[in-house]
Amino acid sequence: MSDELVVVGLSHHTAPVALRERLSVPAEAAPDELRGVLETRALNEGILVSTCNRVELYGAGPDAEAGVRCLREYLDQRGRPDPVQSHLYERRGEDAVRHVFRVAASLDSMVVGEPQILGQVKHAYEMAHEAGSVGTLLGRCLTRAFAVAKRVRSETGIAAGTVSVSSIACDLATKIFGDLEGRRTLLLGAGEMGEAAARALAGRGVHLVVINRSPEKAVRLARESNGEARGYEHLASELVAADVVISSTSAKRFVLTRDLMKDVVKARRRRPLFLIDIAVPRDVDPRVGELPSVFLYDVDDLSQVADQNLSQRKQEVEAAAAIVEVEVEAFEHWRRTLDLTPTIVALRKHFSTVVKEELARTVPRLGELSAKERKSLDKMCQAMVNKLLHRPLTQLKDGVDDGEGPALIDATRRLFDLADAAAPEAAPETKTESTEHAAPALAGISLGLSHHNVSGEPE
Amino acid sequence: MVLKLAFTITALAYASAATLYGVYLIRGSEPAKLWGARMLWASVILHAGLFALELDQLQGLPAGSIHQAMAITAMATCVAFLALSRKRPIAVLGAFLTPVVLLLFLGAGVGRDVPPVPGPVRTFLLPFHIGVNMLGLVAFAVAFAASVGYVMQERQLRLKRLGGIFQRLPPLDVLDKLAYRSVLTGFPLLTTGIVTGALFASRLGTMDGASAMAAVLSALAWILFAGVLLLRVAAGWTGRRAAIGTILGFLSTVTVLLGYLLRGSVIS
Repeated sequence: MSDELVVVGLSHHTAPVALRERLSVPAEAAPDELRGVLETRALNEGILVSTCNRVELYGAGPDAEAGVRCLREYLDQRGRPDPVQSHLYERRGEDAVRHVFRVAASLDSMVVGEPQILGQVKHAYEMAHEAGSVGTLLGRCLTRAFAVAKRVRSETGIAAGTVSVSSIACDLATKIFGDLEGRRTLLLGAGEMGEAAARALAGRGVHLVVINRSPEKAVRLARESNGEARGYEHLASELVAADVVISSTSAKRFVLTRDLMKDVVKARRRRPLFLIDIAVPRDVDPRVGELPSVFLYDVDDLSQVADQNLSQRKQEVEAAAAIVEVEVEAFEHWRRTLDLTPTIVALRKHFSTVVKEELARTVPRLGELSAKERKSLDKMCQAMVNKLLHRPLTQLKDGVDDGEGPALIDATRRLFDLADAAAPEAAPETKTESTEHAAPALAGISLGLSHHNVSGEPE
Repeated sequence: MVLKLAFTITALAYASAATLYGVYLIRGSEPAKLWGARMLWASVILHAGLFALELDQLQGLPAGSIHQAMAITAMATCVAFLALSRKRPIAVLGAFLTPVVLLLFLGAGVGRDVPPVPGPVRTFLLPFHIGVNMLGLVAFAVAFAASVGYVMQERQLRLKRLGGIFQRLPPLDVLDKLAYRSVLTGFPLLTTGIVTGALFASRLGTMDGASAMAAVLSALAWILFAGVLLLRVAAGWTGRRAAIGTILGFLSTVTVLLGYLLRGSVIS
């Protein structure tokens, strides 16, 4: 039997940002963390997705329960001393596949339809590859998830009119300042989210100032957004001058502390300041939001707007969910056939061996055969094998769809004595359509007669 | 009888407009917004008709009494608001402004049998005094509505309630600028009104307790508005404190008017 997929994690649906930031894993640490998880031997494969809105582990192993336990323990350890278990969700089998597809297709995002999540899942997949923790099942699941995401975006209007967390932040800024044209906006950190924010802001005519630990990145981003890059030493003065601050650094501690912001507010003479903290872990001390004329919003606060966004595009979400369901069914069909493939390969090998042996005995008695005659004989035997195997293999495939797969596979193995003929390495990872999975195992059986001389020895 | 009926119909029209704007603020109903504006226009027209009916009863000077002045102020405030909301996204402020207008209109209908304007006050300065006071009050009423909107919107943002009311209220900056410009317009008018009022008070000679209270409240309103303007211009103040100062200043001004009404006196 093939491995089963499991998902364990927490997200903006189940855990506050304070907990998510405790569990978040920096991208560079993901390969080591994954190797650590796989060392427990409960899972054969693993992928770690850590974004500002979710920390999830996707795994594949022979025992789903053991896999879930292993992942729960891992997340529990990361969250200590805070209790994590009640915030975790788990998915198994088909539900796990559906979850992965929905996440990649941005149906589970805070802002449904936002494009960043696909890039983040792809990055997680690359990290898992680096760690050597991706195998047949998770590899196939993730590559299908990327295809599903692409299909959802092209076949539904889910991305139309949708906004990223950054552009929601821009909309909120508009509700404070009216027109953002010429407003001074400070972008603190030039990571992925920071870049997205810069793009959203640039379109609204703001004067962008970028401050980043890495000056090269800040300069590049500022150039792209017609803004200016400043050094970290200008942080306090830029905070005084700014109308909007978007912070998305990868710092482990608060970058904007209460003491710093108290001085900033004083220097600003109570001019309104809109602070958007889209970093996880957070960059801004939550107590800064209590200061006068400061409006502090973190990722959880922005989710309120996202919920409104979701209700406005309910129809598109339903259409996208329908696509996901079709793709989940196709994936599950493929996964079920993973169990069938070794049997088909073994059956083909068995028939091939029998025919080869009989030909080896018969052909020498026929006298000297020309190459053309040998080729015709080969083709005839090949056609016979294919015709003989066609119906039983079709029945096997249908049986898999009807849920009788295991019984039929068992019967076939017993009838043809295929007990030792498993060939899991032949699992069709590279096949793209589930309905085609068994075709190479069925069609094109060559008995190799044309490559053998009459004595059966290779030419 | 006809006057009473006309007054009642006009009051009902103002009340309907206030209700419709209130529904728009709370529910976000676009028809309520549309019909709120229409009803307010209808109220202004009805009010103008009522004013015309009253003209034959006036002796010489229109708006010669506090009541008539308040009625005209109510009407002028509506016209100013409707004109402003044509170019700015401030229709929702009607929910704060129309109740004030209704209050002024109803106040104007209380105790209409007022004593005539005393001789020493009946000079060429009187229409000027009444005019600047009325225009000042219109400006402060608009500033008041914008400031209430600001305080409410600021609270929505602070509490992160980003629902319908938040969406319908204008941006903070728009509200702040509207309040500032309105106070900037109303303040010189209020100052002029207070100066001419003091002149009339000195001509009348004595000042009773109610008049003294009104003078104190007028001075308080002036100090509040002056403080708001000073802090805005000199210290660069914006936001919540400026809005609260504006609201308090307007309430003081309204209290002065109410004091006069209860006293049944003429305009100072």
